[in-house]
Amino acid sequence: MSVKTIPAVESMPLLKLESIGKTYRMGEVDIEILRGVSLEVFAGEFLVIVGPSGSGKTTLMNIMGGLDRASSGRIWFEGQDLSRASPKELTRYRRRAAGFVFQAYNLIPNLTARENVAVAVELSRTSLDIEEVLRLVGLADRMDHFPAQLSGGEQQRVAIARALAKNPQLLFCDEPTGALDFETGKKVLRLLIDLKSGLGKTILLITHNADIANTADRVIKIRSGEVTSVTSLADPKPPEEIAW
Amino acid sequence: MSSLDRKLLRDLKVARYLIAGVVSIIAVGVMCFIYMSATHRNLDSAMRRYYTRSRMADFWVDLKKAPASEVDALAELNGILEVNARVQSYVAVDLDDEPAPINGLVLSLPDERKPIINDMVLKRGTYFTERRQDEVIVSDVFARHHGIGPGDKLHLILNGRRQELIVVGTSISCEFVYLVNPGSITPDPQHFGVFYLKKSFAEHAFDLSGAANQVLGRLTPEARGRPDAVIRRVESVLAPYGVLTTTLLRDHASNRFLSDEIRGLGVFATMMPLIFMGVAALVLNVSMVRLVEQQRTVIGTLKALGYSDHSLLSHFAKFGALTGLVGALIGMVLGYFMAELVTWNYGRFFEFPDLYNRLYPDTYAGGLAIGLTGSVVGSVLGARAVLELSPAQAMRPKSPARGGPVCIERATWLWRRLNFAWRLVMRTALRDRLRTAAGILATTTGAGLLVCSFILDEGLHHLINFQFEKITLSDVHLGFNDERGLAMLFEVARLPGVDRAEPVMNLACTFMHGPRQHRGSITGIESDAMLIVPRDRKGRSIPIPTVGLVMSRKMAELLDAEPGDTVTVVPIKGRRDELRVRVASLTESYIGTSVYADIRYLGFVIGETLAINGAQLKVDPRPTARNLLNRELKRLPALRSVSVRTDVIKNLNDTFVVTQEIFVSLLQFFAGIVFFCSLLTTSLVGLSQREREVANLLAMGFGKWQVGSLFLRESVLINSIGTATGLPLGYFISTLVAAQYDTELFRFPVVTSPGIFLKCIIMSLVFAATAHAVVQRNVNHLDWLGIIRASD
Repeated sequence: MSVKTIPAVESMPLLKLESIGKTYRMGEVDIEILRGVSLEVFAGEFLVIVGPSGSGKTTLMNIMGGLDRASSGRIWFEGQDLSRASPKELTRYRRRAAGFVFQAYNLIPNLTARENVAVAVELSRTSLDIEEVLRLVGLADRMDHFPAQLSGGEQQRVAIARALAKNPQLLFCDEPTGALDFETGKKVLRLLIDLKSGLGKTILLITHNADIANTADRVIKIRSGEVTSVTSLADPKPPEEIAW
Repeated sequence: MSSLDRKLLRDLKVARYLIAGVVSIIAVGVMCFIYMSATHRNLDSAMRRYYTRSRMADFWVDLKKAPASEVDALAELNGILEVNARVQSYVAVDLDDEPAPINGLVLSLPDERKPIINDMVLKRGTYFTERRQDEVIVSDVFARHHGIGPGDKLHLILNGRRQELIVVGTSISCEFVYLVNPGSITPDPQHFGVFYLKKSFAEHAFDLSGAANQVLGRLTPEARGRPDAVIRRVESVLAPYGVLTTTLLRDHASNRFLSDEIRGLGVFATMMPLIFMGVAALVLNVSMVRLVEQQRTVIGTLKALGYSDHSLLSHFAKFGALTGLVGALIGMVLGYFMAELVTWNYGRFFEFPDLYNRLYPDTYAGGLAIGLTGSVVGSVLGARAVLELSPAQAMRPKSPARGGPVCIERATWLWRRLNFAWRLVMRTALRDRLRTAAGILATTTGAGLLVCSFILDEGLHHLINFQFEKITLSDVHLGFNDERGLAMLFEVARLPGVDRAEPVMNLACTFMHGPRQHRGSITGIESDAMLIVPRDRKGRSIPIPTVGLVMSRKMAELLDAEPGDTVTVVPIKGRRDELRVRVASLTESYIGTSVYADIRYLGFVIGETLAINGAQLKVDPRPTARNLLNRELKRLPALRSVSVRTDVIKNLNDTFVVTQEIFVSLLQFFAGIVFFCSLLTTSLVGLSQREREVANLLAMGFGKWQVGSLFLRESVLINSIGTATGLPLGYFISTLVAAQYDTELFRFPVVTSPGIFLKCIIMSLVFAATAHAVVQRNVNHLDWLGIIRASD
């Protein structure tokens, strides 16, 4: 399906997707999750991909983040063809260019907050300071606590710190507020937006919550595996003004 | 320390019960390898050192009397490195404080110390001095048993004369590492010793001045591989001097016992650890599959962060390596102490100057390698499947591979009768075939080893019982110096305390059948003998035929002979005519290679009228009667040896049985560990796989014991199948073990009884209950609410 694309920033796209399709085998059944998805991601923007459950948004993010491969189509990062990249090249891409924040936080339960961030720092040569990053997310006094000792919001902050500590160009956030209460969710959104404006990170956020989409620079709507619209918001709302 | 390594250590701590199970199995396998290999090398190296240092003979030739000069000339023969001549004789020993008759072997040594073949090692005192002729050096174990030391006096009956001798020293000898009275199978230091006399004194005492009645020789390295031709030349040179017997090193009693034991250890050092390590690798593989499955999301996240497959594989390989390392280290330490214990035990009846447990770096390195390899391979194979997934796939919950009905559901008559709990158990077991198969295989191995240990234990007792309650029913066996007439039997029968006396004629000979030949002896007994009763496998007595031989199954196997075959018998002493004799029937025995014949038929075959050289006695058990008998036996000049059944049984228990019981006890311990840990790890893996299911059941309102009973059912299912298949496996392993112990000297009977299988079943139930107690504890402490919240 063709879409109207209005770039928020006039520049070469950081990420470019062309006719991406994805089919999964679940047990004995084949399921087509994505069909002919084409879009671009520009540096420094806060992009929200919104759609109902099962629309394919997580799958789309996984392909953009190099967590999964497309069944068809092409994807480039800074001109490098990721769809033909070897597993090693994809690993390198994830290590250097991408950071991930998941709905379920995905912290390692046997490591403290500091150690969870260290896991990422040990991978990167251009990483940020662990304590600095944890302070940035407001966890200066919770660094040596295990995930089981932290609230949901605090755990998500650790996840954000871990994603950030590698100093990636792209930050992929899959329903980062999905497991949080309303107030905490807004705080996490505020943090992400501050990171975008303060550190110039490109943030891609996935959500089923249309209200959250109002805080973005651009919103991509997806339904049944297809992009239905791409909209730039001239005046995104601050997280404190939205409600869900 | 990197974050991943820190995570690894903490993961190990969380999975500690599971890991403890695997570590135990690895430790047992490594311990087995270390202690058996080390003990084997301790004995083997001690033997080689001793034989080399003491110049162990390659052959012995007993003869009537040969001039020393003729013996010296043998050294010129091709293949002969060195020869010595000496005087040897079996004697009676008269100790004042010892009521029972004691036998001894007198050997001559040079008057002045010099290197000789079968050189002895002084333990206490000194070599002969110039002070007196009547000095004696006594075998150290005999001296210790009787509290004899340098300066003490004793009496030997030399050539019919009672001779007082002064003890100047005690010694051990490489030719008596395993010191047994001829015809015996176990050392009896209480009743048999070796006595070294000065050559000049011995020659005079036995009327052999300037002569010898035994020749020892050493062969060149080239001749050692094929000694028979050289020996035939030696025999032909010595023939004019009345060659009685020739014994090669391979047939020498002490060397045979020692070599057989060393050989058996070598075989077990390979066989047993392989079994344990196989089980450990399997159990670890299944455990790792589950542990890695539990960390799917973590693996996906680490991959998302940018960790390569290689680094994650290394992470899980470290998991296996640490597990293997801990298990191997524990096994190495335990193996060292076991080797100490078992080597010390061997030292109780194998006399070496320097038998001790040594640290063999390559053996310990091998043990470490075995432990590490098995565990790393098991863990890497277990982790591989998840690591091959993309990060996104890894972070998604695993989709059920199979969702349809399982095969047993087709048996509707059975399926309808099962409640939901059993249906759940059956579906789980049949869908996760790898885990179920691994659990069954591991419990089968554990049960099999347990049954094997029980069968071997039963076999030990059966061996003693069969030999000494069914075959040998006499209390005392007498051996005479030479062949005697029946008058000797009547004289012995009249001794105080003797209730019954039966004649025995032992004919040492070489048996030949086709290309095969074997040294042995024929025991001639009366056809209606009651004190030696040959038996078949079922314990039924085998009648002694008037014509032909009753041959032990082992001897028949060595000769490849069957009932009805004719074998050639060549007596070792006296007329060495080749005699053709028919094998009438076979008999069973677990000790030695007995062959029986009617005593009159035997006399006819060898061309002599009824002659006896021994007697079997049934005696009054009362101590006073025994003492009277012993006093009279000490006075009998014709007596060469006395063997008391209770002493033989005691010595057998103290030597062979103790050694085997150590092995059997260890096997039971190992088997128990394997069995229990297999059940435990399978149950724990099952619980961890179905934590969410358990949480949901608890949330629905099922009680903790109800939920726990699901796992108990699964454990009972795997346990039952494993035990049922382990019972025949145990029997099979026992036959393999018995085959390793199948030598001319001993055979291990494989005896089963319903009690053995019942014991195994009871133990399997105890293990299952104990393993389940751990699982139930985990269910009781499960944070089911947290699990449900997390899945939301």
